[in-house]
Amino acid sequence: MDFEIIKSALPLLVAGAGVTVEITALSVGFGMAIGIVISLIRLTGIKVLRVLGDIYVDFLRGTPLLVQIFLVYFALPGLIHHQVDAFFAAIFACSINSGAYVAEIFRGGIESIDKGQMEAGRSLGMTWWQTMRYIILPQAFKRIIPPLGNEFIAMLKDSSLVSVIGFEELTRRGQLIIARTYASFEIWLSVAFIYLIMTFAVARFVGLLERRYKKYEQ
Amino acid sequence: MNNELIKITGLRKSYGNNEVLKGIDVSIAEEEVVVVIGPSGGGKSTFLRCINYLEVPTAGEIVFDGMALDGKANINEVRKEIGMVFQRFNLFPHMTVMENLTLAPMKVRGASKDEAVAKAELYLRKVGLLNKADAYPDSLSGGQQQRVAIARALCMNPKAMLFDEPTSALDPEMIKEVLDVMKDLADGGMTMVVVTHEMGFAREVGDRVLFLDQGVIEEEAEPQEFFSHPKSERAKLFLSKIL
Repeated sequence: MDFEIIKSALPLLVAGAGVTVEITALSVGFGMAIGIVISLIRLTGIKVLRVLGDIYVDFLRGTPLLVQIFLVYFALPGLIHHQVDAFFAAIFACSINSGAYVAEIFRGGIESIDKGQMEAGRSLGMTWWQTMRYIILPQAFKRIIPPLGNEFIAMLKDSSLVSVIGFEELTRRGQLIIARTYASFEIWLSVAFIYLIMTFAVARFVGLLERRYKKYEQ
Repeated sequence: MNNELIKITGLRKSYGNNEVLKGIDVSIAEEEVVVVIGPSGGGKSTFLRCINYLEVPTAGEIVFDGMALDGKANINEVRKEIGMVFQRFNLFPHMTVMENLTLAPMKVRGASKDEAVAKAELYLRKVGLLNKADAYPDSLSGGQQQRVAIARALCMNPKAMLFDEPTSALDPEMIKEVLDVMKDLADGGMTMVVVTHEMGFAREVGDRVLFLDQGVIEEEAEPQEFFSHPKSERAKLFLSKIL
């Protein structure tokens, strides 16, 4: 094992890890916005919206993220007659993918709240949306922290797939360094180790949040 | 007799093929306390929950204070005026007692924070829990939670209150504190519809008893009359089992 190679590659890899965190945070962030909208429209009584929400979730959870990245990067430009850059494609594909998973997480969280809460809110004259916003969602948020943390960890790892469209996050950086140095073993081991540090840190952070919110749980 | 506040005509409710309410007609006057009793599964709770449209009736008409409920346009308007107390309290666990009491007056009535807090303090004092204003519901006993739930409903200044088995989830030693609060309310002239198994309360506080069985009002009478001289066979059978 050549530690000198690792040492000299490390700054590049760490910068790549920063990019990985960036696309993960952006994708899960947009994914949360998409997810909450999708989960709410699936909970409304309006059938057309519900079906559209179901199709969205089924399609994005039922197809590989890699294929979705190809669709956005290679197929979409043909449709809109405009080149799509790698950064946009990476964020876009990961966000819509994450949105589908987050929608399911939100739905589970919302449905786990006792029906009596909605009834109590409505019986006080609050609208469905007011009750959602002030009563149901704040309680649901606390319950979905753990699965949301898992989604973040999953996206941290799955974002390595955007390396195939040449987007320079951690995995792609590793590939590029190996192309130059042929130090396959050292670099892939380092890349793996950096991913491990990141997922471990996120898992610990989520555990911390979980314990802090425990006190209001019944 | 006071003015009519709630008028229910031909109320029916089915779940699939199962008809739970089979045509109910009842009129409730201002300041009247109507106690609904009957065997489990007889439709008591469903009847109560139809009054504020938590359950949407399959057929029939409900008129509250001159407003006919249609389930959409004015349902929130009507619900503002009808307080409801649940068997399982349904307090909001992520909010303090004070926040539980002030949320709806501020969001629905547009009350200022000061107004809402003042009113909440008034009703907390009334139910004897002013010292629990900053507590979270989970730290309270069942009886205390139910008294908070009553205070929460009162903060909306409702014209009527619905009680859905308010003491059924309580330990025996806590039932009285809740019934006492309800009795005070009745004495203060609140219009009340109470589904309960507390026959002592029905007899002492009720102005009228509705005996609901198999989806119909089997018998309707003043409490003294009902408990001492039930007319229908089913009412006699029911009372023989519980008294």
